[in-house]
Amino acid sequence: MNKRTFDIDRIFHALGDPTRRAMVEKLSQGPVSVSRLAEPFGITLAAVVQHLQVLEECGLVQTEKLGRVRTCSIDPAGLSAAAQWLADRRSLWERRLDRLGDLLAEPDDGR
Amino acid sequence: MNTLEAQPVVHNTLVIERNYPVPPERVFAAFADSAKKRRWFVEGENNQIEGYALDFRVGGREHYALGFNEGHPLAGHRLSSENVYRNIVPNRRIIFTSTMALAEKIFSVSLGTVELVPAEKGTDLILTFQSAFLEGADGPEMREAGWRKLLDKLAAEVSL
Repeated sequence: MNKRTFDIDRIFHALGDPTRRAMVEKLSQGPVSVSRLAEPFGITLAAVVQHLQVLEECGLVQTEKLGRVRTCSIDPAGLSAAAQWLADRRSLWERRLDRLGDLLAEPDDGR
Repeated sequence: MNTLEAQPVVHNTLVIERNYPVPPERVFAAFADSAKKRRWFVEGENNQIEGYALDFRVGGREHYALGFNEGHPLAGHRLSSENVYRNIVPNRRIIFTSTMALAEKIFSVSLGTVELVPAEKGTDLILTFQSAFLEGADGPEMREAGWRKLLDKLAAEVSL
């Protein structure tokens, strides 16, 4: 596995923009070309490319040029970094009580 | 960075209910037994435990200190917490007061109430945790509050 580090500030900055979030949602359904991705947003291709650059730089999206078509897809590693961060932020007590549940699910040691 | 000496205190009440499919006696034991308590209360994936002690009786203290691994927002800092048990009704209720400190500076003072209610299927646990957040709580805590709205929207996306 590649060792990559993610800048969580940049990931959430990227996801803080509704257009970029919509792009991530769209890409979650599967890879598409940049022009296809641009279609539903009613913004210029240049603007889409800029948004993509932000998403690519923080590791949420990857793009690949195949012939004359640039295809973009979700970068699962960036999303997992965000998911991990969210999981870490769950209330301390929520996590504790999850762990208590795990402990109580073990066979009783008689005490 | 805000370096004002006395910022307004932020109060928060957290109520969490859980059902565990075991009798109240077993849930209570997980609070009363030091080895069990340590496992679910302080052991976490991202922490190094630098100390843990539990004296589970009225007036007794519980203390822990944590260091955090690289990459954690609190990496390089020492988080410590002290609880004092104020009221214990075996298998039914535990009330404690709690302080949390970062680098020995207290940033929250709390009152915790754990109620264990026998249920048809095991035990309903009700945790009520009432806190006053002081200066210095604006690292992870405030950041969390600031992100909450965004996180709500994101929840669906990251659960894909």
